[in-house]
Amino acid sequence: MEIWSLITNILLWFGLYVIVSLSLNVEYGYCGIPNFGKALSVIVGAVVAGGLMTRILMVAMGVHGDIITGSSAVSGEVTTLVKSNPLYGIVLFLVYIILALIIGAVVGAVFILPSARLKEDYLAITLLAIAETFTMVCYYNPVIVGSYYGVSVPNLFAFIPASVRYQTIVGIILITAFVVYIVLERIVESPYGRLLRGVRENEDVMKAYGRNVMNIRIKTMALGSGIAAIAGVLLTFYTLRVQPDSFMNYGRTFWTFFPFLIILLGGAGNNRGVVLGSLIFATLWELVDFYKDNIVSALHLPVEAVWLEYILFGVLMLLILFYKPEGLIPEKPIVTEPIKRKKS
Amino acid sequence: MIVLETQNLSKFFDGLRALDGVNVKVKKKTITLIIGPNGSGKSTLINVISGFYKATSGRVIFEGEDITNKPPYEIYELGIVRTFQTPQPLKKLTVLENLLIAERHVGEGVLSALRHSKWLKHEEELVEKAFKILEFLKIDHLWDRESYKLSGGQLKLVEIGRALMTNPKLIIMDEPIAGVAPALAHDILSRLTELKERGVTFLIVEHRLDIILKYVDYVYAMANGKVIAEGLGEEIVKNPKVIEVYLGATH
Ligand SMILES: Nc1ncnc2c1ncn2[C@@H]1O[C@H](COP(=O)(O)OP(=O)(O)OP(=O)(O)O)[C@@H](O)[C@H]1O
Ligand SMILES: [Mg+2]
Repeated sequence: MEIWSLITNILLWFGLYVIVSLSLNVEYGYCGIPNFGKALSVIVGAVVAGGLMTRILMVAMGVHGDIITGSSAVSGEVTTLVKSNPLYGIVLFLVYIILALIIGAVVGAVFILPSARLKEDYLAITLLAIAETFTMVCYYNPVIVGSYYGVSVPNLFAFIPASVRYQTIVGIILITAFVVYIVLERIVESPYGRLLRGVRENEDVMKAYGRNVMNIRIKTMALGSGIAAIAGVLLTFYTLRVQPDSFMNYGRTFWTFFPFLIILLGGAGNNRGVVLGSLIFATLWELVDFYKDNIVSALHLPVEAVWLEYILFGVLMLLILFYKPEGLIPEKPIVTEPIKRKKS
Repeated sequence: MIVLETQNLSKFFDGLRALDGVNVKVKKKTITLIIGPNGSGKSTLINVISGFYKATSGRVIFEGEDITNKPPYEIYELGIVRTFQTPQPLKKLTVLENLLIAERHVGEGVLSALRHSKWLKHEEELVEKAFKILEFLKIDHLWDRESYKLSGGQLKLVEIGRALMTNPKLIIMDEPIAGVAPALAHDILSRLTELKERGVTFLIVEHRLDIILKYVDYVYAMANGKVIAEGLGEEIVKNPKVIEVYLGATH
């Protein structure tokens, strides 16, 4: 049975990383925005679920008190409600997702606003700094998502037997990832994708040909951040909690560094490559995690087993940059229907 | 009718006066040439007119409207297209794609991109137009090659092709035929002349007077950020000041 839990774990992270890395690919791979604050939009998704939606439900259900106790009360009530009528669960699920998409998009646009004019390196640093600041505010301010204590998130699928709850969530994440892939692929395999790549390659040319580059960057960040926020919500449906200390501990590694690693591995500017990159990453991650104690002791490595993944993935990143800077599936030109006809 | 006019236009880089009170007038349906030694401020003039550099003082008037220091994309919107002295390829994009981005596309928004039927027709038109231009420039066989793989001269042609994709009122070109083979350079200039007859105005910076002079209607000569002479082509090449600073005594 262990093998099944290994596979579901791989699929869980695969799905989440497909969503976040594809969103980063639009920003970085296509538009050239080095979004070193990618984690912010995932955290925003979690805050929409744990903070905003909890508040909304508290008001709707007449629950008083602070968000920490309020979220437990709300979760309890929603669970009962959903058990009696699954439709509530499904509608609420869509509300969470759509709200995360909208708020994520708005936050993403505002996020880049102060720095959209800056050149690449400065932009990267500014985005990182703003994301870190936001993470700290979430961590220290209990009003947002309960600070140290965190908040509960209702089980919207309580109508499904507890024994398959986990598999169900993984299934939902995979379906969402698939939809995100299809939609994004359609969005970028178009003059819009060409525009983004143009901005990435040469800002001056795009300006000379009538494009407001700052505007394009802001809209692209809105798109990318909205989509990444969906992953944040989905993650809370899996954990059923939002813990701001996890933002602090894992945020930048899990949701900024790893998505960049995945993109560089799979191929920046190529969505298929990014999906492949996510699969390889999730598989390696889970396998190493599964066997890390054996690996460390068998090879007599002088490191604690918990650090093994981080070391391995850091090295992997360097190897890719040295030997395969284009990634496994390099970027391809955008071939629209009329261009395809010219080819044949 | 005057399409473009600069009034006392200056651009200083710290202490350096790259443009120092420049007055030029460009008449509609003409090709106006700017000549001058290296570093005399020709490219700076183009950069200020097109909004890439902020003017230190003075004004740029286009069709009677003050466009000084407007951002480049707004200036494009008004009907001015410029090319760059050093070709600016979108490196990883193909030659065809480099031309296709020249015009704003109906399908280049997040939501409009989703509805393929909305932009396919426009895309088809642009692809057709781009191929005609590539054929004219004799680089159609390179259409699906990434532009970073092109030679310097070929890149120059892509730079020109991109400008020809648009339908502006004024085309400003910075050394369009530098590095282009003579026969093709003449073809390009004849093409520009055709466009001129159809109503397009040109402001061109070029050193290769042997080729370009017979196509131009009016010439400004610059030195040290100032206009030192202006007039018809044959007058300018005989002007002693121009001979002294630019053409050389043996010309
Ligand atoms: N961005 C800049 N920063 C500082 N100085 C500049 C800048 N751009 C141009 N200059 C200076 O302004 C002067 C004019 O340069 P410009 O490029 O306009 O010359 P040009 O007439 O186009 O010369 P060429 O024929 O060599 O292209 C030069 O001395 C140059 O060093
Ligand atoms: Mg120049």
